[in-house]
Amino acid sequence: MDASTATDTAPLAAGGAVEESTVVGMVMQEPVAAVRKSKMKVMVAVDESEGSFYALRWMLDHMVRRSSPALATDGDDEVEMITLVHVQQPFQHYAFPAGPGGAAFYAASSVVESVRKAQEENSALILSRALHMCKESTVKAETLILIGDPKDMICQATEQMHTDLLVVGSRGLGKIKRALIGSVSDYCAHHAKCPILIVKPPKEASKH
Amino acid sequence: MAEAEAAERRVLVAVDESEESMHALSWCLKNIISDKFSDTLLLLYVKPPRAVSTALDGTAFLFSSDVMLAIEKYGNEVADCVMEKAKKLCSELADVKVETRIENGDARDVICQMADKLGADLLVMGSHGYGLIKRAFLGSVSNHCAQNAKCPVMIVKKPKSTSNSH
Repeated sequence: MDASTATDTAPLAAGGAVEESTVVGMVMQEPVAAVRKSKMKVMVAVDESEGSFYALRWMLDHMVRRSSPALATDGDDEVEMITLVHVQQPFQHYAFPAGPGGAAFYAASSVVESVRKAQEENSALILSRALHMCKESTVKAETLILIGDPKDMICQATEQMHTDLLVVGSRGLGKIKRALIGSVSDYCAHHAKCPILIVKPPKEASKH
Repeated sequence: MAEAEAAERRVLVAVDESEESMHALSWCLKNIISDKFSDTLLLLYVKPPRAVSTALDGTAFLFSSDVMLAIEKYGNEVADCVMEKAKKLCSELADVKVETRIENGDARDVICQMADKLGADLLVMGSHGYGLIKRAFLGSVSNHCAQNAKCPVMIVKKPKSTSNSH
């Protein structure tokens, strides 16, 4: 046995460089495979519109393997975690009357309270529906409610949470409306640093 | 949709000479394509149309046929080079069926038309990341396709990291 190990070490010493290079070759190949299997953190922006739910449904159908729970636990899913984000528009606490006078009316605190509660219920309804859809597809999901301008809040949230993919629906605004009203999906496509998936609802009139 | 056991997905990736589109392709290969779905990757390169320069007074310069041929040949070489690079990336990073198409015309319209014609489920493209002014003048292919393509569009931006981004 000693003889065999001695003969083994000799070629190793001579071809040591060769061994090392093959080891290096193997090590370099691994990261490519490892990166491929890394899981994605996906953020889906939902609101009351059907377009955003269609986007969520599309993403779940096409990017998450909707298989039996047994298969899902093998841990080899691409999508690690879905963050469902709903952005509430901030409620203006004051209103300016149109007529002469110019004084601002401040909304009574009870009005503010009831509006805030209505908004929370709205968000809860939307997010619970979205969560249910995710649960059907056996994907981990968490919810997030933000208050502010949807465009900015969504882009900020993707940066802070280091999401790998942002999924938004699109209302399918025409060119004029897009220029005037502004489109959340357009803004996010320009400003979000992470890849963005824009899903348009299908045209009902056409084939399909 | 029946059992999603082997759901077929056709992913169309629009490539051009830029680094951004190659980055989009490699991101797509790493994160979207998986062996759980039977994916077909469609690579599309659109050759820009030959520009015929016209002066303002209506006179047009007609190039001689030699020059036209040379321009044509150069365009084809660029197309082949881009396709080779893209196919190499595909074979390195993922084991997936790849189909290639080379088309002529304005990239914006051709990409949307081909996405429809080839029955793509998803369109992936890079974005040059132009600022507001450049976007207004040069126009953005990704923006146009995101609005006009019938299928979902994924826009992948290359991170502007100054260090070695690899």
